[in-house]
Amino acid sequence: MTHSDDDTPLDPAEMLALLERQKRQVTLSYVRPVAWLYFVWGFAWLLGFVLLWLARVVDWLPLGVAGTAFGVLLIASIVTSAIVGTRIGRGVQGASNFQGAVYGISWSLSGAAFAAVGMGLIHNGLSPELASLYFPSAYALMAGIMYLAGAALWGERSQLVLGVLLLVVGSISPFFGSPANNLVMAVGGGGGFLVGGLYFVLFMRRGQRGGA
Amino acid sequence: MELDPVIHAAARLRITATLATLPTGDRMSFPRLQELLDMTAGNLSTHLRKLEEAEYVEVTKTHQGRMPVTYLALSKRGRRAFEDYTDALRDLLGASE
Repeated sequence: MTHSDDDTPLDPAEMLALLERQKRQVTLSYVRPVAWLYFVWGFAWLLGFVLLWLARVVDWLPLGVAGTAFGVLLIASIVTSAIVGTRIGRGVQGASNFQGAVYGISWSLSGAAFAAVGMGLIHNGLSPELASLYFPSAYALMAGIMYLAGAALWGERSQLVLGVLLLVVGSISPFFGSPANNLVMAVGGGGGFLVGGLYFVLFMRRGQRGGA
Repeated sequence: MELDPVIHAAARLRITATLATLPTGDRMSFPRLQELLDMTAGNLSTHLRKLEEAEYVEVTKTHQGRMPVTYLALSKRGRRAFEDYTDALRDLLGASE
């Protein structure tokens, strides 16, 4: 795309088009990394929970291996999110820094809180069978609430949809029992992220066509 | 209707439109602004100076470690001027249809 950076004013219609194009370009610079994050998380949930499910239904996959793979996928996604998150906000400072910092820390804090509850339950005799229902659900509920908070903070509808979906997935998955609850998480949660990513890709395509 | 001559130039319209996407209370660094606009540093500086002279843009100079960084934001006056300009543009186009 070429820009006329000189002082010559264009006619009003061209100026309005230029204005819209620039606004879209700025929006796209925020949307592009979010689309990538949705794909990363979708992949992690889908693969991770399918592995956890597989470990309980086949002989060749030990639960320890599946659990480790799940942990690695999760940590990789968290690191990616942290890096991408700081990159989205790079070069901008001011009032919104507080919002961003609180939001970022809230993920770790609520993750730790939900994990602690699980530990407390296990300590008081929660069986491994029930723990395998609790942890995925607690994780989905936590993520759901965080996405709802994100939707409120940044007025972002895709996070609203994702947040509600994760709350639904988290609350219905225990009814399927173990290990099928993992499949509900994989398809519902992972699938939700992937659809979210696709939505953004389509949004960007439309944006580019509209801006051409 | 008279269109604000400070904003009514392609480069300055794009600068103002980009800074207007920031929520009030936030500022954008010069390099980030340059990246979003795809303009040369010299060209961007020239136009920013005009916007600063009109008191549409507020400049904050600070340090990140030992590196000096310039942050830019629309002033209250600049944000109002941009909204007025956008309204005027839409009015003009609406009237000509």
